[in-house]
Amino acid sequence: MAVILPRLTGACRTFRSACLFVCLAVFSVLVPSTGAASGTASNGYLGELQQLAREKGLAAARTWEVLLHYKPAGSGTMSLVDDPRFFNAPNGSTDREAELSATLASFFRTDEKEDEEHPQCRFIARYTWLNEQLGFDPARLPKAPCAKFDKALSSVNPRSVVLVFPNTLLNLPSSMFGHTLLRINTAYQSDLLSHAVNYAAITGDSLGLFYVFKGIFGFYHGRFSNLPYYEKVQEYSDLEHRDIWEYHLNLTPDEAYRAFLHIWEMKEFYANYYFFDQNCSFNLLFLIEAGRPSLRLTDEFYGKWRFWVIPVDTVRAAQKFGIIERVSYRPSRASKILRIAEEMDSDLKDMTFEVVDGKRTPASVLSEDLRVEEKREVLDLSTELSQYRATTRKLEKAQYQKQFLDILAARSTLGIPAEDPYPIQTPTPPDQGHLSARFRTGGGYRTGSWFTEIEWRAAYHDITDLDEGYVRGAQINFMDLSFRYYFDDDKVRLHRWRVIDIVSLSPWNGIFKPISWKVSAGVEELLLDDGRDHPVARLNVGGGATAGVGSTGRAYLLAETDLQASTRLEKDYALGFGGTAGLMTNVTKDWKVNVWAQGLFYGAGDEHRSLAAALQSNLRFTTNTSLSLDAKRELTFDRYRTDITARMNWYY
Amino acid sequence: MKRLFIVVTVVAVSLVFVGAAFAAGQAHSNTGCGLGTMLFKGNADNSVVLQTFQATTNGIYGNQTFGITTGTSDCAQPKNFVSNQQLNEFMVANMDNLARDIAQGRGETLDAFAELLQIPTEKRAEFYGQLQSGFSRIFTSPGVQMASVMDNISTVSK
Repeated sequence: MAVILPRLTGACRTFRSACLFVCLAVFSVLVPSTGAASGTASNGYLGELQQLAREKGLAAARTWEVLLHYKPAGSGTMSLVDDPRFFNAPNGSTDREAELSATLASFFRTDEKEDEEHPQCRFIARYTWLNEQLGFDPARLPKAPCAKFDKALSSVNPRSVVLVFPNTLLNLPSSMFGHTLLRINTAYQSDLLSHAVNYAAITGDSLGLFYVFKGIFGFYHGRFSNLPYYEKVQEYSDLEHRDIWEYHLNLTPDEAYRAFLHIWEMKEFYANYYFFDQNCSFNLLFLIEAGRPSLRLTDEFYGKWRFWVIPVDTVRAAQKFGIIERVSYRPSRASKILRIAEEMDSDLKDMTFEVVDGKRTPASVLSEDLRVEEKREVLDLSTELSQYRATTRKLEKAQYQKQFLDILAARSTLGIPAEDPYPIQTPTPPDQGHLSARFRTGGGYRTGSWFTEIEWRAAYHDITDLDEGYVRGAQINFMDLSFRYYFDDDKVRLHRWRVIDIVSLSPWNGIFKPISWKVSAGVEELLLDDGRDHPVARLNVGGGATAGVGSTGRAYLLAETDLQASTRLEKDYALGFGGTAGLMTNVTKDWKVNVWAQGLFYGAGDEHRSLAAALQSNLRFTTNTSLSLDAKRELTFDRYRTDITARMNWYY
Repeated sequence: MKRLFIVVTVVAVSLVFVGAAFAAGQAHSNTGCGLGTMLFKGNADNSVVLQTFQATTNGIYGNQTFGITTGTSDCAQPKNFVSNQQLNEFMVANMDNLARDIAQGRGETLDAFAELLQIPTEKRAEFYGQLQSGFSRIFTSPGVQMASVMDNISTVSK
């Protein structure tokens, strides 16, 4: 029987099994010196419990694995929690058995400091589970009082669990892939009074390359935090203008309670935060698993040759395990503003802007010859816009206070509509969109030669992909790699490698006038002066504006600058300026086109010009399969090139 | 509406004694009115995360940046209401949205507020109507003290 005991000396650890019984015998001598327990009577009982735990094989149990965040590592096991204080045994992060024995020992401790929580309270999830499995005798292992925990438990009063997904927002790069947090519902009916549990990296540094580096390689600590849900709603809905999706999980009150125990247990500990994989969304899954250990949510991502965890994919994992009961949609303030404005004619909108610009008093709206519904619309929209301007600091505090109260005072004379006057239709939930990785293959013709092509994209959404579940006009292509085999010269060539390619086309809509922008970096096969294609490193940045055309169309105009680098270029580089004009729109629900024209004039380095026009289209068969047909004609270095491709897309 | 006022007051008083059901349970004191105050406050006051969050949330929502009421950071006690911490924190953090909902006579923030006051569902329509018609008596001026808002609410809902 190879059993390992915790907190033993180096010599003992070397001869683990051999010295086991000796170790057991001297445990009562050793343990006080390691500060684990005191009193021989309890140690006798400790030995019994440890023995019983071994007989029951508890260290191998799924629940123990979940509570300690153990994952297979090589032939052994390793915890993903990096904080050494999380473990009771010195080798607890790699040794389940040792950690279990040491955890049991810690429950006997009587030497904790006054302001310190007893291990029974700090590790309340472990304590609760071990107690269930082993049936602690209260006479021999007294229950330590856990005042802080009891107080927290009674205030949270967990009933159910919701997985919350604040969506991506155009123009907010930090929201690129969205985010997830957990909501613990209390006995209150109002969602606002529930509790939000968030996992985040604690970053003291400002943004920049250093920040990205540290984030990618785990230099930051990730921690859980707990806030009233209304604060998170305000943060996402009112300040960042992100719609929130709430996925209600079918965890029972008891399972919600167990999740809460684990949250409590995790509150003081950190794990190294990795932006790509061990991030906010991944770590939340442990909390759900702690509620119901039979769910293997984290295994969907860990050790799967998938080096990133995209928040919406964790929602899909929850979907796959059948724990999502229903989904609800919480529109942001910006969405509400657009919804109210939708039904107003331009006179009413003008009146609204006069109010928020301070050109007329809110009370004067009341005496206008309008229906009461119209007056309400003007004042309700003024209310939202006034708050919007205050949060975006376009309105000084003193001005805002007065204006806001004046508007509301006027509004308060107009009665209460029987039902929500501005109901917002729920769009397609993010988990219903196409999956985030894409593989495609096909072939085509590029002046002079036929070719076949394969392309793989790690993530996430292209403006030619169908938009359901995504934010229309937002493109994030991350790690998009394509190779072509050209028949005429019998060669495989790198066609394009887009490391990052972001486009944000956020339309002007009479209320907001956002900037549209794009940035892309990578390597691309370009036509150069010698009349042949060569790989060229390229950085392209642009900014401009977008207008909505119909319900799905976006017409955009972007000024841009383009930097190319290659030894094939004269002086090894070319720097140019120009612009792109385009229109993307759905022709039918399943057929999307993007037509654009681009002109770039390179005045520095290898001086030349490049004019191009293209038609891209994407026809959807199912959510995760579609056909792309693209045609492009360009004039570069005074030579024409035509590039036509047909490709099948699989999203997975 | 004397009865409603009594209900509100009694409910508020009982909230104090049913402190267990409320955040941090410290209903007798007004410590921790700051917006960043968190549930686990007592346990991890010194941890980086909490400080970070407190700094952040106070920076964003604090009445020093915007918000229609003042007097929130020292949490002056309303006279007619027995204050409890959860209600205090809720009002501080949601005052602007609450004012909006009161003026419009409906909304999620108003529902949550009524629930905290334990106004029975069937009485809410009446309560909301009273608050709406009393709006200008509740929010008497820009920068009104939060404690007065609470007092005014109890007055108009009598």
